[in-house]
Amino acid sequence: MNIWSYVIRRLLYTVPIILGVCLIIFIIFNLSGYDPAQILLGKHATAKQIAEVRAELGLDKPLIEQYFDIVKSAFTFDFGRSWASKQDIIEMIKEGAVPSLTLTFPAFLISTVISILLSLLVAFFRGTFIDKAVVVKCVGMMSIPSLAYILFFQYFFAYEMGWFEISGYEHGFPNFIPYVSLPIIIMVIISLGPDLRYFRTVILDDIYQDYVRTARAKGLTEKVVLLKHVLKNSMIPIITYVVIQLPFLILGTLLLESFFSIPGLGGLTVKAVFDNDFPVIKAMTILSAMAYVIFTVITDILYTVVDPRVRLK
Amino acid sequence: MKMLQAMMAILSTTLLLTSCTKKVDLDEKVLNLAVGSEVKGMDPIYSNDRYSSNEVARVYEGLLEYHYLKRPYTLVPNLAEAMPQVSEDGLTYTFKIKKGVVFQDNKAFPNGKGRELVAQDFVYSIKRLADPKLQGLGWWLLDGKVAGLNEWREKNAAKDETDYSEEIEGLKAIDSHTLQFKLKKQFPQFLYSLAMPFTFAVAKEAVEHYGKEFLNNPVGTGPFMLEGGVFKQTAKRFSYVKNPTFRKKLFPSEASDEFKPFLADAGKELPLLNKIVVQIIKEDQPRWLNFLKGKVDYVAVPKDNFETAITPDRGLSEELAKKGIDLLISPSLDVTYTAFNHDLELLQNVNLRRAMAMAYDVNEMNTLFYSGTALPAQSVVPPGIAGNMPDYKSPYRGQDIAKAKELLAKAGYADGKGLPEITYDCPSSSTSRQIGELFKKQMAEIGINIRVVQNTWPELQKKITKRQVMLYGIAWGADYPDAENFLQLLYGPNKAPGANGSGYDNPEFNQLFSKAAVMQDSPERTALYEKLNRIAAEQAPWIYGVHRQNFIIKHGWLRNYMATDFESGQAQYINIDIAEKKKTAGKL
Repeated sequence: MNIWSYVIRRLLYTVPIILGVCLIIFIIFNLSGYDPAQILLGKHATAKQIAEVRAELGLDKPLIEQYFDIVKSAFTFDFGRSWASKQDIIEMIKEGAVPSLTLTFPAFLISTVISILLSLLVAFFRGTFIDKAVVVKCVGMMSIPSLAYILFFQYFFAYEMGWFEISGYEHGFPNFIPYVSLPIIIMVIISLGPDLRYFRTVILDDIYQDYVRTARAKGLTEKVVLLKHVLKNSMIPIITYVVIQLPFLILGTLLLESFFSIPGLGGLTVKAVFDNDFPVIKAMTILSAMAYVIFTVITDILYTVVDPRVRLK
Repeated sequence: MKMLQAMMAILSTTLLLTSCTKKVDLDEKVLNLAVGSEVKGMDPIYSNDRYSSNEVARVYEGLLEYHYLKRPYTLVPNLAEAMPQVSEDGLTYTFKIKKGVVFQDNKAFPNGKGRELVAQDFVYSIKRLADPKLQGLGWWLLDGKVAGLNEWREKNAAKDETDYSEEIEGLKAIDSHTLQFKLKKQFPQFLYSLAMPFTFAVAKEAVEHYGKEFLNNPVGTGPFMLEGGVFKQTAKRFSYVKNPTFRKKLFPSEASDEFKPFLADAGKELPLLNKIVVQIIKEDQPRWLNFLKGKVDYVAVPKDNFETAITPDRGLSEELAKKGIDLLISPSLDVTYTAFNHDLELLQNVNLRRAMAMAYDVNEMNTLFYSGTALPAQSVVPPGIAGNMPDYKSPYRGQDIAKAKELLAKAGYADGKGLPEITYDCPSSSTSRQIGELFKKQMAEIGINIRVVQNTWPELQKKITKRQVMLYGIAWGADYPDAENFLQLLYGPNKAPGANGSGYDNPEFNQLFSKAAVMQDSPERTALYEKLNRIAAEQAPWIYGVHRQNFIIKHGWLRNYMATDFESGQAQYINIDIAEKKKTAGKL
């Protein structure tokens, strides 16, 4: 099957998905029953002004009309303005996505590469003290809450040692580097434990397969067996695991962004939930759903690249 | 091998770039601020939280302001030439506007040159606040008060576009520099409204030029201008520079005793700073560490650092004092409380309310959650404003378990028998939950069974409005320094969704409040406020918590700074001692 027709067909599937997502968030918003008008007006709200604000926000329209407004915004990418801050939502997202990516993307890349390399290494030493020590270390690292890493690293390396900025962010390369370096290191450390354990399991699953025995019987070195045969065959679960994380990189990381004052998207959705800022919640949910679908398509295509047996249907 | 070399090169470049951490600016008078929450935008009519209103007030100004160095808080003219002439019936306020005040240069004006401020700008700005299409968040200030303004608002609600050209009886520019307000009824607190950022002057040209983006393009008459001109809501750092066209405004030459040392700058032209850098730092640890490094000039002492920073006798720790850091303690105009839902028959039982108030140990709460720094509240009005009685002790201020049990029996529920489970609703933060758990434990001591229910803030607001709560824990901060702002929380006609969330409705209280609310500041009004305050204590419509205190530490180089509940416009008076900063900042 032509790859383009596959991509187009899969992307068309996003239409019913988006309609469904719109319906779900619309139902949840209406079921939650919080009155955004009251939240906006705060402590001095009066019944009359609440009614006026509800009308101004379009909350007095028939439900079906409100639903189609959501659908329209999903397909035009015009999400309007935040109810809480009156800011243009697409601008907010555009401005926040870049700082989030300058933190999450390098951290993701570094932790993935290091985890795969280390998992190959421990697979090479499987069953030995090194393997066991690495697994114990991973479990240990996973047991420490991420907040503890953040508090300690920020205090020790940024404040005591003065090697990094304590917090803040500057736009443009290379200005942002001093600000994101420490959060990247922390994010790599936090991700390393679960990633390494997962990749190790995937590689060990393959390492006992018949084809590996055949390769060894043919006299191939362990390095060639691991890098050329095992790694290639382990790529499908690895790609699934890795690519599906990509859309979430744009969404940023709440804790790191909050502690290091990085102006990313990490806190945007959470704040919107607390403010009952429905247009922002709607935009973030719809865009996340779209990104998820797109990256699933990319994963499918990558399967065919790493494993010629896989065909797109 | 080449790949390894490339990786090493990238790593060393990164480390090199990383090591270039920013040094503290020692050559310019720069105020470095850390702010705990995002700023929504810079349109005065939406500045309903302290973060936004503080930023708005750096660029915009109003007719009045609080005297920077006088306590109790005193209103003085800002853009007004003098305090207004008030008609004998107390309904007409006539202001003369200062001449020669200009808006900051901006491309919204012809040739980019800011024009002179006129009375019509205030008429326009206040109409914007009342515009039903804009739904300004400070409308409550003027709602029902200015003659013709509500009618204008209602008329325009039905139109597609608001008509700003229509004249309003109670809001007129008599000539280019004379502004007149006519009120529907006496409202002595009206003048406070004119010191609040909601009513600050904006230029029609700027509003029309920027349209919906006006909230990100501030153009005022104030002492500072936003550097770069455009505000980005997601930015965690932004700065202001001195407004070169700012009028000649001088540092005050009079002060209350506690602020006399600030008079070293008396008569100097404002602002005293060259620049303000605002950083949004939400978390306590980075805010604290940045302060200790000298990158932030002052911070409130975080709860987790309180024990190490403040000594048991409320002094500054030796370690911090050695670094030239000072401690400032000041009471906050606020009150925390647990409100009863007075719609419920059960809670209309005054003896039950009093019993619960007597069982509540405010001192334990103060020690656990405010490190013993707050002042236990005896009633609703906080210290520092007329109506508070410093020596007054509420007869129903706990903890007195024996008396509480006695009152509970009098209420008909001896040892809690026959009482249903009572819910206590609170916000979802861990501190609020812990306060709820403490309340539950204390009520259990007299046999009352409490269930703590946590809510997101919207959920709690909804439940209060819909009367779906029994008890709820909350706080109120002053909008302006007048007891009316606190007492109205118990005024029957202000019931939810108004500010009286508990729905307390006592005819005697209502009648006295209605009388006091229209009186000018006088000993008679203070006596009425005190009477209301007593009723509020004796009837126990709430269980009173505390009036919180600010514990702020600042670097020695920061001059003229004090903790205040009305921070708007404060930065223009602040100074930096560069020599002192050079001496101490390097050692931090």
